Formats: sequence, C-alpha cells, structure tokens
Amino acid sequence: MRRQLPLLITMIAGLTFAAQYYIPHPQSEQMLTSVTKWLQIIGGFALILGVSSLFQQHAVKIRRKESGWGYSLVLYAGIVGTIVAGLLANGKESVDGSMTAFGWVYSFMMVPLQGTMFAILAFFIASAAYRSFRARSREAAVLLIAAVIVMMGRVPLGEYMLPISGDVSQWILNVLNASVRRAILIGVSLGAVALSFKIIFGVERSYLGGGKE
Amino acid sequence: MSFSERMLKIDRRIIFVVIGLCTLLPLLYPVGLPIKISPEVRSVYDYMESLPPHSVFLLSIDFDPASKPELHPQAVALLRHAFRKDLRVVAMTLWVSGTGMAEQLVTQMAQEAGKENGKDYVFLGWSPGGSAVIINMGQDLYTAFPSDYGGRATKGLPVLDGVYSLKDVTYAVSLGAGVPGVEAWYVFGKDKYKFELAGGCTGVMAPGLYPLLRSGQINGLIGGLRGAAEYESLIGQKGRAVAGMDAQSATHLAIIVLVVICNLFYFSLRRQAKLQSQRSS
Repeated sequence: MRRQLPLLITMIAGLTFAAQYYIPHPQSEQMLTSVTKWLQIIGGFALILGVSSLFQQHAVKIRRKESGWGYSLVLYAGIVGTIVAGLLANGKESVDGSMTAFGWVYSFMMVPLQGTMFAILAFFIASAAYRSFRARSREAAVLLIAAVIVMMGRVPLGEYMLPISGDVSQWILNVLNASVRRAILIGVSLGAVALSFKIIFGVERSYLGGGKE
Repeated sequence: MSFSERMLKIDRRIIFVVIGLCTLLPLLYPVGLPIKISPEVRSVYDYMESLPPHSVFLLSIDFDPASKPELHPQAVALLRHAFRKDLRVVAMTLWVSGTGMAEQLVTQMAQEAGKENGKDYVFLGWSPGGSAVIINMGQDLYTAFPSDYGGRATKGLPVLDGVYSLKDVTYAVSLGAGVPGVEAWYVFGKDKYKFELAGGCTGVMAPGLYPLLRSGQINGLIGGLRGAAEYESLIGQKGRAVAGMDAQSATHLAIIVLVVICNLFYFSLRRQAKLQSQRSS
C-alpha cells in the first residue's frame, strides 16, 4: 500500500491535469487555480526544508571546524542578519521614502555582489576562449568562424569593420541556430512526454526513492 | 619551452588586464559608433507604437541584480516608451530576488514621466509559485495579486479598470534572465490566454529564444545590451546601453584578437612538431 497509494495519486493527478488543458470549462479552470495554490504552499514548505538543511550542513562544518568553516560562519551571519533585517522591516526595502536596514542589505550588498559575480564571467570567458578555442578539427574551425562572425555582427565596431557581419550573424542566429535549437527542443519535449507517461503509468518509479517495498 | 608554447600558456592575469582596459577605456572615452536596428527589436518598438493610449502593457521584470547590466537598460527603455505612449503599465516580477530592484526601477521611471501610482501604473511585486503565478493571473489577476507591492488592494485601482485577467492585457513583455522567464510566459500565459507577447533576455540566452521568435510565438526579442541599445536608439533617448556598446565592441574585438593569436601559435606549434617528426623519420 505504501507503494500503490503514491502511484495511484500520481496517475490520477497526471491524467486529470493532462486532460484539464483541453477542457476550457470554468470548473476545470477553477480546479487548475486551486492546484496552483497548493503548489505555492508546497513551494513554501520546500523553502523551509531547503533553508533548514543548509543551516544543518553548515552547522556541522562549523562544529567540526572543517576546512573553510569560516565561510560557513559568514553564510550563517549573512542569512541570520538578512532574516532579522527583513523581519524588522516587514519585508519592505523602504518605508515612507527612507531606506530600511533590509533595503540597505539588498541595495548595497546583494545588488553589487550579484553584479560582480556576473561581470567576472567576461574575464573568465576571455581567458577560457584564449586557452581552448582552437581549430583542432574541421568542425571546430567552422564553429570558430561562426563565433567570430556572430561576435563581430553583434557589436557596432564589428559591423563598422566588416559591414556584412551584421547580416551574416542575423542569418546564423535566425536560420542555422533556430533550426538546430528547434530540433533539440522537439527531441527534449518528446523525451519529457515519454518520461511523463512512464511516471503516470507507474513504469518509472525512481521519484519514490529507495527503501523496502 | 618555445615562444609559441610560452604564449599559449600565458598568465591569465594578462588577459584579465586586457579585458579590463578594453571595458574601462571606451567608457571613459566613448566613440559612439552608429547602432544598426535589428528586425526583432524593431518589431517590439513598432507594436508598442501601434498601441492606442490607455492600452494595458504588462512588464514582467524576471531577473535579479546579476543580470542588471543587460536587462535593466531594456526595462528602462521599455518603460520610457510605455509612459510616453500613455499606456497603462502593470509591472511585476517572478523573481523574488529582483523585487526591490524592480520596484525602484518602475518608481524612478514613473517619476521621470510624471506618472501617478495606481492611476497610470502599478507595481504588483512578487507572488510565490513561479509559473503557477502566470496561470493564476490568467484565471483572476486579483486572486494572484490581491494587493500591490505597497499593500494597497488591487481591486478598484484605476489603472486596472476593466482588467480582470491576462486575457485583458494588450501587450506583455517578459524580461527574463532564466527560469521562469520568457518561455514560461509563452507556455503558461500567451498560449493559454491569448495576448501578444515579446521577450527580452541576456546576450547568452538570446540564441535559445530565436525558435520562439521565428515561429511567431513571441513577436519580438530584445537580446542583451545590444538589444537595449537598439531600443534606446529607437525611442531617441540614449542611455546606459548605448554608452556600454563601445565597451562591448572593444571587448568583443579583444576576444576575437586573442582567439586568432592563440590559433596562430597553435598552428605554429603543430607545424614545428610535424617538421620535427619528418626530420627524425
């Protein structure tokens, strides 16, 4: 029964909501709205689970003084500090036009830190391109030429130096790239449909986890 | 170790300095090269231009500060255009970490245009559920967002007069940096509730969205900083994106030059190895 009941729930839910998409009746739409609310509630619980698991993992690291435990301490301070600031500010970044502590953490810590992480990518991409973007084979050479044309065609300086690069890069993106992407998307979607059917009809059961029957 | 070998194993810090200079110098000394408008950005602009005043324009700011450099200028340009056209702006976000940034952005743009909160625009904020929020909005906007970001009841707001669900939205643009983003807005929004949709995304994501564009699933696409610069040029208000294009031009060129140099050394090494093996045999 411990196995059969989840399989039954999965099958009923899967078939019901696959059918729901094709039934534009208000009752059917209402059912979808209710279920999306359930999803939001489950998502909230998943968040609690995730945060508590993160806390536990890093608490162990700090207690045992494992390598890099100082970073775990910073993480703890960051999470606790932000939660306290958020609770005190009632989740608002500003009140009556003045910035709260939570707003300060957001604007002057999170925004610059995330921006920096993204900006660093440009440096690493350049370094990686220099080290590994080599015409080792015919296929690699084609990829290299296409990349250079697209990179030139996407910036004004490239278009100024090689006027045709703009149109060629548009063609590469619109025709070659779009057709290959579409083929990949169709393949992935067919795989997803097949996997969904396997889950709905109980063929694929790995989502139930291990354990005794 | 030969010169070519040494050059192939060059210290990465030298490359970092080159890229740093290529970014910094054009920002300090801008050149201002002309920007060619692509058809996908023009179609977003043209559709916005074709909307009559007081049409409902939904802007979903689905990114966080990490993608701010590319997507923020897109949002600024779109909001400027929407406010200039006297559209009713309904802004929201599906990314909780982007809520504060989105609120600041919408408020700033509205103040610049002299628009009134609740009458000309509303920022709904964030609601949990990701893609499920889009479905909820498609059923009933007031259930998904009973109050706006400021805590005011959304029901009765003049800006939402006659708007009950996504079916009443004239044009929606999702500026997405990942999931949920443009694709979620198409699958759970446009496809189900039938409204016109366009997308905006980071430069690296743009190639992945071209199939949606080509099939008409989205009517336009603003890709990366280049797309933002094109939109700024179209509305005639050049901003951060246009200023950043010189820096992007220089870094693209630097990367191309680096790749070409690396390949020259690579082929020179291969030739040396070939000659050596011929001599030894």
